[in-house]
Amino acid sequence: MRRLGGFLWRALRPRRTIRPTRDGWWCLFATFGLGFAALNTGNNLLYVLVCMLLGLILVSGVLSEQSMRGLRLTPVLPEDIHAGRPAIFGATIENRKRWLASHSLTFEVLGAGGRRAAPERYLYLPRLEARADRLLGWEQTLPARGRQRLPGIRVTTRFPFGLFVKSSRVVLDSEVIVYPAAQPVARDLLRPVGGAGAAPLRRRGRGDDLYNLRDYQSGDDPRLIHWRSSARRQSLTVRELEAETTPDTRLVLESMGRTDPRRLEAGLSQAASLAVHLLGAGAAVGLAGPGIRVPLGRGRGHERRILTALALFDPASPGALDPGAGAADRWTPVSEIRIGLD
Amino acid sequence: MTATLAIRVATYLLVYDGLLALYLAGLLATPAALLAAGAVAASWWNEWLRARVSAGMGLALIGAAVLASAADLLFLSNSLLDGLVRLLLVLLLYRLFTRRSLRDARDAAFLSFFMLVAASAVTFGVAFLFVFVVLLVVGTWMLVLYHILSESERAPERTRIVGGARAALARPLLGLSLAASVATFLIAVGLFFIIPRVGQAALPLRTRVGPMVSGFSDRVELGAFGQIEADPAVVMRVQIVEGPPEPERLPNLRWRGIAFDHFSGWAWSVGRPSPMTLIRSLDSQFGIDIPRGGAPIVKQEIYLEPIGTEVLFGASRVLQLGIRADAVTVDDMGSISVPVPTARLQYTVHSQLEPIVPPDAGEASGAGWARLQGRERFLQLPPLPERIGGLAGEVTAGSRSPYEAALRLTAFLSREFRYTLLLQRTTRLEPLEEFLFVRRSGNCEYFAASLAVMLRTLGIPARVVSGFQRGEWNPYGRYFMVRLRDAHSWVEAHFDGAGWVTLDPSPRGEVDDTMPGPVSLYLDALRMRWYRYVVNWSFRDQLMVAGKVHDRVSAWRQWRLEAPEPGSLPRPFLPALVVLVGVVGLMLWTRARPARTARVVARMPGFYQRALKALARLGLSPEPDETAREFSLRVASVAPACGAVLAGITDAYERCRFGAATLTEPEVAEVADCLATLERVASR
Repeated sequence: MRRLGGFLWRALRPRRTIRPTRDGWWCLFATFGLGFAALNTGNNLLYVLVCMLLGLILVSGVLSEQSMRGLRLTPVLPEDIHAGRPAIFGATIENRKRWLASHSLTFEVLGAGGRRAAPERYLYLPRLEARADRLLGWEQTLPARGRQRLPGIRVTTRFPFGLFVKSSRVVLDSEVIVYPAAQPVARDLLRPVGGAGAAPLRRRGRGDDLYNLRDYQSGDDPRLIHWRSSARRQSLTVRELEAETTPDTRLVLESMGRTDPRRLEAGLSQAASLAVHLLGAGAAVGLAGPGIRVPLGRGRGHERRILTALALFDPASPGALDPGAGAADRWTPVSEIRIGLD
Repeated sequence: MTATLAIRVATYLLVYDGLLALYLAGLLATPAALLAAGAVAASWWNEWLRARVSAGMGLALIGAAVLASAADLLFLSNSLLDGLVRLLLVLLLYRLFTRRSLRDARDAAFLSFFMLVAASAVTFGVAFLFVFVVLLVVGTWMLVLYHILSESERAPERTRIVGGARAALARPLLGLSLAASVATFLIAVGLFFIIPRVGQAALPLRTRVGPMVSGFSDRVELGAFGQIEADPAVVMRVQIVEGPPEPERLPNLRWRGIAFDHFSGWAWSVGRPSPMTLIRSLDSQFGIDIPRGGAPIVKQEIYLEPIGTEVLFGASRVLQLGIRADAVTVDDMGSISVPVPTARLQYTVHSQLEPIVPPDAGEASGAGWARLQGRERFLQLPPLPERIGGLAGEVTAGSRSPYEAALRLTAFLSREFRYTLLLQRTTRLEPLEEFLFVRRSGNCEYFAASLAVMLRTLGIPARVVSGFQRGEWNPYGRYFMVRLRDAHSWVEAHFDGAGWVTLDPSPRGEVDDTMPGPVSLYLDALRMRWYRYVVNWSFRDQLMVAGKVHDRVSAWRQWRLEAPEPGSLPRPFLPALVVLVGVVGLMLWTRARPARTARVVARMPGFYQRALKALARLGLSPEPDETAREFSLRVASVAPACGAVLAGITDAYERCRFGAATLTEPEVAEVADCLATLERVASR
């Protein structure tokens, strides 16, 4: 029965809601008042004015519907979302109508309070041509790690007269994985892997130390231009940097993290920060802990694997240990950093 | 024009539209309207004025205006409506002079809408249509502009505008606003005719009295019409809705008003008023008289302007009257009145036209016509000089019947006397004696009074009737336009066997009866249609239209059953089919055209084009696969003097073109400086 009710609700609920604004209430009030006066006096000129107001209301409904119709929002989600850190979210709004533009669209970005709370921010698009699209972007912070549902956004319009607000359903409320917060890593945390965690190599790379100066070539990062040398030589000169190396590291989560949630989150955040830092420095990083075993690896894909494991770590139901998971790096000499969760 | 300026202009247009509505409705006299218009114009520079008027003085002015408005509303104004209108004006001026934000402009526009509401209560003129259309078009434009700007300004700290409000003020939005007003107008027209008129207002709203017309009260002095017989104002429009096919050819058509039986020597009056109040039937009809003989019956629809008289006019003899009133009064001389002297009236009258009078009328009783009872009343005469009776006897000597005598007298007056509106007395004689024996010229009242008196001296019962001549025929609207100058007096004489017969001795040959031009006639026909289909649109009209639609549908169904060929269409459908094909073709053509979006979005800012033009003089142009930033770096390496300024211009260009941002004033100035530097370097 409940399923049937749910099906009916989904099938029959209105695609858009409409409610009068304050000016709209005044307009309705004036319409009813004048209508009553017209009825009472039989004065046809009052009927004319009443009909004009009714016509305005009807035209308002038609134009606002026309503005909302044929819009498609496609989410553009950031690759990494870290808890408590602002992330840039986006959506592509596309007007799929063939020849009619949409006007005065407001995108209400909902906050943590959900669809009943006041929107956190508004994006306003005065006009979107037919068959055109526009990228919308906004900054939002998700407070906790794990699987989270985005608050979503709602498209509304008061077009054309500001008398009524027509709202779409909440969209872009999909589920995302929020990684633990990643922060800059303190040097003493990296002591087990050799101080700063990076040793320079005498070859060209993406480290911090200067390796060489050479002429600018098309495609070079403008931030690497060495202006003083450029001025002296009267031609653009860029810096080349030394490569750096970092020892491979296994991050080990100790204990279950059931005693203090704040300590647990701090520990997971520390692990995430170390993983991001070490992987960024070119090291291979692995993760081990109660119910977690991620073998050593490098690169963006591996970073996501580790961060996902940390994001989904649940102290209440740790998964079973996989005895074969670390077989590949059993003979690999690695440094180890231990992180307590309790 | 910036959006803010456009809203301001729209606001002032609406305010002037409201003032015009009040002026046309007579709620503002000319000096007051000019004063208000001047004050509204002065409020355009409200910031300049605010800077020069101290806060204390401003408050004092506002306080004085509020007190004056309250006193006006409570004690001074003639009516509540007058007081409210002046209060509305005070509020409007206050709002305009203290205007700071968009909302204030919007409030002023709303107040102007209520001016139209106030005007609609007391006006019926077709000018209201034009005022209404202006309100609709400008009001729609303003609402759209206000909406776009207020949305841009809403919660600025939390709102980001994608693109910029200026983009929304492009021509398509203005077109859309115009289309919205046209759609609103069409919907309003449709709703107006459909919304059922279920109101039970028994009397029409009262309006301002136009010219107060003398000559239609219970007592009229000789010469009373003289003042109005040169006035071209239209006071009545009469449409013959049933009757002969060419009403303009009807002979001797007059619109009878009030009849007088008592003459004092210089004034006619209703000597023995015996009014009878008639109560309306369920269909708002009042039975006045019954048809007699075989004379044709015509049905007239009459629109009477408020001229300050209770008398109703119609072709003689009135049989039935249809009017939205609870009761009408009829006296025994057939004068009909309704107690709404200040209202604009619309009513229908069924009249039986006068039959052809037999030449021997007055000699014997005819069938159907009883001998006149109380005939002494219509033979009453004041003490008169004997030579008036002598003249009557002299003119009618040898007549074989009273009717022939009456015709001789009528012809005598028409032939021997001159019609004039110059009525200065030159002697101390009785007015009629002076007219008949000294001046020998006068207006219709003198002619009518002379004939009635001379008939009475001959023993023929007679009475004087005031009303209107038939007026000008308007071929565009097919109705009679009756002007004030058509006010007229004539005589009804009673002949046994024929009843009351109309005799009109007045030649009226010298009256300026120039016909109005076609434009004037067309405008008046438009006015008539406005009265007919807007001001007086009623539930009965709705029923009639519904009946016609039903008949058409039935006829169409019948046609379908009897259609000679299955695929053929009735003639009225052909234009609709052509329009439909045209619309579909237009839609397909529009659909086939490529979208213009990309061209609009990818437009290059003008300042960057100028920069490229300047660099081209140095032989530097971007390669096809080179980005703007790469080009900027290349320019910096080749021509370092241009590199720094081009970097700034490139930055602004990228933000404008790819970020859809609008440059601020300082940024625009900075770009202009960079551009000037670049052009200077390039020109060396």
